[in-house]
Amino acid sequence: MRLLTHNILSSNIKGVTNGFPLGIEVEKVVEKQVEINHDFLRNIFPKIDWKAFSDASKIMGYVELPEESPEPSVLDSDLDFLRKFHHALLELHLEEGALVCPQTGRKFPVNKGIPNMLLHEDEV
Amino acid sequence: MKFPSLSSFSSPSPMDHAQCLRLMVFNSLRAGRYIHRFWGTSTLSLDSFCAFGYPVICSRMKEIKVKDASTWCTLVPDGEPHIQSVCEDHKCSSVSVKSTPEIEKKYVHRVYDAIAPHFSSTRFAKWPKVAAFLESLPTGSLVLDAGCGNGKYLGLNSSCYFIGCDISPPLIKICVDKGHEALVADAVNLPYRTNFGDAAISIAVLHHLSTENRRKKAIEELVRVVRKGGLVLITVWAVEQEDKSLLTKWTPLTEKHVEEWRGPRSPCVRCPSSFSLESIPETEENGLSGHMKDSRESLMEDMQQSACLNPQNKDDSLVSKDGRSQQEYFVPWHLPYHRAEVSGASAVALATGLAKKDDKKGAVVYNRYYHVFGEGELERLVSGMDNAVIVDKFYDKSNCGSLCTLFMVEFGFSNMKNEIKKLLVKDTSPSLK
Repeated sequence: MRLLTHNILSSNIKGVTNGFPLGIEVEKVVEKQVEINHDFLRNIFPKIDWKAFSDASKIMGYVELPEESPEPSVLDSDLDFLRKFHHALLELHLEEGALVCPQTGRKFPVNKGIPNMLLHEDEV
Repeated sequence: MKFPSLSSFSSPSPMDHAQCLRLMVFNSLRAGRYIHRFWGTSTLSLDSFCAFGYPVICSRMKEIKVKDASTWCTLVPDGEPHIQSVCEDHKCSSVSVKSTPEIEKKYVHRVYDAIAPHFSSTRFAKWPKVAAFLESLPTGSLVLDAGCGNGKYLGLNSSCYFIGCDISPPLIKICVDKGHEALVADAVNLPYRTNFGDAAISIAVLHHLSTENRRKKAIEELVRVVRKGGLVLITVWAVEQEDKSLLTKWTPLTEKHVEEWRGPRSPCVRCPSSFSLESIPETEENGLSGHMKDSRESLMEDMQQSACLNPQNKDDSLVSKDGRSQQEYFVPWHLPYHRAEVSGASAVALATGLAKKDDKKGAVVYNRYYHVFGEGELERLVSGMDNAVIVDKFYDKSNCGSLCTLFMVEFGFSNMKNEIKKLLVKDTSPSLK
């Protein structure tokens, strides 16, 4: 699971009003390189919840991202930032671990990079 | 076919929207002819049925003997309010729409889990309408594929970010092994933030949901996870009114199936009433040979194997005694023995009666549950939503069972929907594409 995916995931348990962002328990992180696409990053950037993203990247072991969301202009001028943004967003994979509902503490397992977000009968 | 760029929706003005809609609305008959041209190039998805020479098929069906026509039992048509009104057990009404009914667990979830690798190997051809839609999306779009199966459409547009989800872990594993982003989730309860995606697709999924409320819920979820101005594409297996006489291959619903449908967690149903579960023959896609057979030949062959007539309807129509349409089907899937041994799930399936052996074909036969959409049914479900508008719809008329596809657009302006509806009524100019 990449951090871009984490940025869109939310707990859908019955009764939960604030299911985002999910907490992350890390057992294994894997890095997989992928080609950088500047246009893609510029278009994706405004959609990201930056706080959730930068917190998550720290949990995954990557501390290079700024805490505060940078100005969009940075994407055009700062190649170094673009590379870091790309790396955290798309190249870090949570391979083994869990995602945690912020309201109930319920854990959604992540195995072989695949989160299982299915709910039990009593959670729907 | 080109779609207007989504970027035109990002800073909307009413006239821009109207302009885009003009481009996207076109006559469904023209669409049918347009799609028919694609069929000749064999690029259509193998999800489709193939049928040529309708009169020949009809005459063959009449010759076929009735098989397994023991007890008949019929079910109340789907739609929980109706079921609740006849339900004697008051507890039934508390079942959540997000709770999976037994018939789906047995005849959708477990089947796909068992057949996943074989199923995936037959799912490679991309339906041109879906491909065109995905290719039209602007760079950086977040695309959610709900019910992605083997991930056929994930990553189709390399400038977009796709997230696939499916209820079947073996199918999701196939997606992830290909390098896609995918997770295990339920289409009636998507684990995504509200209004975050740019587009969502649901390709041949909704027809596996066994109640109208669940199908409605799945559509609501698709609209919920997409931003205002985003697009949703849905395809389902549907039957056109005039084509109903073609679908007269039946497997009668026996008492056994009714028990399975009822299950401990299903909404209560009452028999007898309107319609029975029938089965239709396999499509060429699960033929045992590796290559694509001639579609007409294989359909004939499959029909002879498993077809029988519905003794209740001598005119071979789909409409049952009390006039309601029959829409619930079992569609067989033949899993070759060598594949079944590899998966391991088939031994259990055979022991529990979930699957049968066909020694002649050397395959384990599973049944998949389908709700075949009636004419206008998908449109009706979508039209009932306040925050979504149908922008385009078409049918693949070259198939025995046609696929109906809708585009829906959400607008932030509450009065836009009426404006657009006026445009849709007025503007049916044949010059549009």
